Amino acid sequence: MKIAIFPPNSLILADLVERRGHEALVLQKEIRKKVTDAEIDSPPLNITEEEPIKGLKYAAIEVPSGVRGRMAIFGPLIEEAEAAIIMEDAPFGFGCIGCARTNELCMFNLRKRNIPVLELTYPTTREETMDVVNKINTFLDSLEDKNG
Amino acid sequence: MSPQKNPKTTRMIILGPSANISQTELVRKLHMMELPLTIKSTCYGAVIHGEEEVVKQAIEHIREVDPCNIFTKDRGFPPGDPRRCRAKRGGAREGFHQLEKEFELLDFVSKALENPQRVEIKKTKKVSPDLFKEIAQECEK
Repeated sequence: MKIAIFPPNSLILADLVERRGHEALVLQKEIRKKVTDAEIDSPPLNITEEEPIKGLKYAAIEVPSGVRGRMAIFGPLIEEAEAAIIMEDAPFGFGCIGCARTNELCMFNLRKRNIPVLELTYPTTREETMDVVNKINTFLDSLEDKNG
Repeated sequence: MSPQKNPKTTRMIILGPSANISQTELVRKLHMMELPLTIKSTCYGAVIHGEEEVVKQAIEHIREVDPCNIFTKDRGFPPGDPRRCRAKRGGAREGFHQLEKEFELLDFVSKALENPQRVEIKKTKKVSPDLFKEIAQECEK
């Protein structure tokens, strides 16, 4: 199954999803499509003026272009998802989730899709981490059961 | 953008803090596979770049070495890309701080993978309008 993860660039989430034989819809796959395109092969750019226009599908024109630009990349991943794992309160070092409004919009769109969603909080201790890993594995196994 | 016949992907291989092998051994093992890959040794493990199928094959083989301590993730930019490579731009690479944060938890993740436990997932329910009204009224007091 295709599983959307949030933060979309999380190593732990992507790795756990792939260990269970699912496909993690990670941000890097979308970014790769952009940065290996000859049109924008000039540093330091990695998106074009087209992205905020594409983002109009997900956010209104009054919404800052930064949100729309981000949504142009996150949006297709959300649409493709068959299930989702959301980890809230991730540290700000998670570059691409530095925009709080985009995060809210992404989580809203994922919840709105009526797909199985597992919501967690970013762990900080050993016990929390072990609990989070066990929950993710149980959730992923339950998806397999549903699919037969 | 025209679709490529054999799309190339880049993968980061990250060794957990309790991994049984070192970065050097990891890179050596990757080379010994004799697959058509670009392999770059890094402080956290290695970066491999090549055709999707080949990269997948390499990941599957390398995971077998230490399944609970070898983690992998996709990377958008190819190795040594001037937009990301530290050698060209100086300072920490984008994504480094995230990796640093997640690395702190990798040991706990390994332990959880070694000792899996079945847990119950509580489903969150929507707040009923009555309860919402009650909360709103309490807040107004």
